[in-house]
Amino acid sequence: MPYALTLTRAALLAALALPIAARPARAFRIFVSNEKDNSITVLNGATLKVIATVPVGARPRGIVLSNDRKSLYICTSDADHIEVLDLATLKVDRILPSGADPEFMALSPDGKTLYVANENNSEVSVLDIAASQVTAEIPVGVEPEGMAVSPDGKTVVCTSETTSMAHFIDVATHTVIASVLVGTRPRFAVFTKDGSKVWVSSEVAGTVAIIDAADHKILQTLHFSVPGVPQDAVQAVGINLTADGKYAFVDLGPANRVVVIDQQTGKILNYLLVGQRVWHNAFSPDQKFLYTANGISNDMSVIDIKRLVVTQSVPVGQSPWGVVVGP
Amino acid sequence: MVPDLPQAALAVAGVSHSFGPRRVLRDVSFTVHPGDFTSLLGLNGAGKTTLFALITRLYHSRAGTISVLGHDMRHEPLKALARLGVVFQQPTLDLDLSVRQNLHYQASLHGLSRATAEPRIVTELDRVGLADRIDDRVRNLSGGQRRRVELARSLLHTPSLLLLDEPTVGLDIESRRFLLAHVRDLCRQTGLGVLWATHLIDEVVPEARVIVLHHGQVLADGPRTTITAAHQGDIGAAFATLTHEGQPA
Amino acid sequence: MKARAWLACLGGILLREALRWMGQRGRFISALVRPLLWLGVFAAGFHFVLGLSITPPYKTYIPYEVYIAPGLCGMIQLFNGMQSSLSMVYDREMGSMRLLMVSPFPRWYLLSAKLLAGVLVSIVQVAIFFICASAWGIVAPPSGYLAVLPALLVSGLMLGALGLVLSSFIRQLENFAGVMNFVIFPMFFASSALYPLWRVGQSSPGLYWISQVNPFTHAVELIRFALYDRFNPVAAAVVLAYLALFMALALIGYDPGRGMLARKGSD
Repeated sequence: MPYALTLTRAALLAALALPIAARPARAFRIFVSNEKDNSITVLNGATLKVIATVPVGARPRGIVLSNDRKSLYICTSDADHIEVLDLATLKVDRILPSGADPEFMALSPDGKTLYVANENNSEVSVLDIAASQVTAEIPVGVEPEGMAVSPDGKTVVCTSETTSMAHFIDVATHTVIASVLVGTRPRFAVFTKDGSKVWVSSEVAGTVAIIDAADHKILQTLHFSVPGVPQDAVQAVGINLTADGKYAFVDLGPANRVVVIDQQTGKILNYLLVGQRVWHNAFSPDQKFLYTANGISNDMSVIDIKRLVVTQSVPVGQSPWGVVVGP
Repeated sequence: MVPDLPQAALAVAGVSHSFGPRRVLRDVSFTVHPGDFTSLLGLNGAGKTTLFALITRLYHSRAGTISVLGHDMRHEPLKALARLGVVFQQPTLDLDLSVRQNLHYQASLHGLSRATAEPRIVTELDRVGLADRIDDRVRNLSGGQRRRVELARSLLHTPSLLLLDEPTVGLDIESRRFLLAHVRDLCRQTGLGVLWATHLIDEVVPEARVIVLHHGQVLADGPRTTITAAHQGDIGAAFATLTHEGQPA
Repeated sequence: MKARAWLACLGGILLREALRWMGQRGRFISALVRPLLWLGVFAAGFHFVLGLSITPPYKTYIPYEVYIAPGLCGMIQLFNGMQSSLSMVYDREMGSMRLLMVSPFPRWYLLSAKLLAGVLVSIVQVAIFFICASAWGIVAPPSGYLAVLPALLVSGLMLGALGLVLSSFIRQLENFAGVMNFVIFPMFFASSALYPLWRVGQSSPGLYWISQVNPFTHAVELIRFALYDRFNPVAAAVVLAYLALFMALALIGYDPGRGMLARKGSD
């Protein structure tokens, strides 16, 4: 709205922004997979404006950026394969095979292998990207979903929703070396930067288990409760850990909150109100902002990590599921 | 028009007022000259309060004119009000403020700067014997002291006409005596015109001009000596006869 | 009269209001506790109800207590406006109004100065409320706290002028409880203070229209938008129009020739 004060403020902000703008700004884009309208929404990271909406295969869910940052791997679950989106042309230029109903995946540190959770046949598929070939299928618990690879690439963690376990898989032998019982319906797993711990979220239990990666023991289980929100709506899904080891952000699904946790102590710092059924989240390249995909309100919320406040929510496609930041 | 209008401190001419069908004042006329101590004598409900409301411009009369030092209240209200000092029947001091703060407020309502007001405040307080209480909260003052502060306050802008509406209600004998004596002195020394409304006949001082107001009408207007001539100087008897109220006290 | 005299008059009226406000600790505390209490009660009771939709000027989902904060600022001003205007006439302060009225300055000037004094006090109260609310996690952009000042000034004047109108016309409102029941609460509840208007409209179209013409709604929206650095032209226009209307009515009410006092007497 044209308003003197707003104008003055805009001018002021512009003046303040000048030194920042003068630096070579690292432009980035945000990619959101929209489960219901079979598309990827592409947003400008600076302006948060939608640049493009790219049609992809049926029911895109888990998305992962390639190591060379040139492509986006997309689990198109109902198409039963993985699509590769070229980020320069914004066109799907390759199809990779996977088992049935791929939901989520993790990339090996060398960028050559994708570990895909195949929800319907209780397996983890090991996919050689270059060869477009599934080289191994590792049986795990029922309904595998969360996938994580250790920083050294030697261990893969897969969570099975129905069995409520986190399976530790030895990459060399493709065998499950340990299964840790966690809260009901584990959804997501992530290694800490040093690889010593794995954080596993449980959707129905609404908890996060912090597991020692070496001896596979649960070190700590985090419970959440949001004032005024029914406990069964407090579900834990996507997790992101800041590289500086300071914060962990966990999406609480239908509680419409992102919980901010002290990564070192597990202490709960704050609950931030975002859109409805917040599912996954991603950091900006400088880790100053966190973007969340809100499945029911069809938008993406932006969290200012320094101030720990939600600054904005912008509409994306139908039922946003995953979010990834890329070039 | 009253011919000596410009000289009169207060000229009330042909004033009538009514609230709905109830007539409160009927054709009231009188003047207060500079230096006059005028007692407006009337029982409760005689119309004194309405008359004071009209003179202080709370509202206009239905008929007639009121002017202060020649300034008509309807046409030159601001000039008229500037010459007017009032002591209201209700207490009007802020109890939680100090005496000084209360007086500065009044001074500012007359456009006096703080620098101009300060010496006047000290002077007027001194004249009512309360200079040492200047920084006390009004709440800590007795009823009589508060009234004296209000009198000092009404004089800060050196008015030419002072109105007092039942100023001694609720005061002890000593405070009443002080107040009356002080106002009489002011009349004599400064030529201030005074209109003192009361229902207490013993407040009608010997030199007073007396206006007897009854049921909204002026029954008598003249020096006390003239009005009491037929009653051997007994103002109570004169008042009773005038208002047809029983036997002389 | 010289400009300096006018300023002295204004200064005196402002100073008195400030001194009185500081002297009456009870009034200050109740003015502060009331909105904080409401904040606590409403925020606890309606936690999950709102946050379902993004309503301008907000850019994202907000907890309920963030939504009602501007409405509570409005409430502070509403209470203040009613209290300062009505107490002048109907409490034992009748005399202080008379004192003001015998000042040789034009009545419009005296009433405006009195109004402004009340508004400045209310702005201080709102500022203290904001400080307390920030401890609750209710924070606006820093520049919003500056932008809200003119909005508070205009809305405070409007609500204070309404108080003046009521004090001059409605004889029945003899005590503050009556004003609470018949003015403050209806104005507060039939407004956008507690619910966004679109939500009011969903439950009751009648209430929606009442809220739309309610000056308090527009005062709250003006404050709400300003607090987030936005200007709401409709709210501003409506608030200014009501301010002009109430001011005109108040001047008629206190006009020596026409007002209620002339018709019915002063006591």
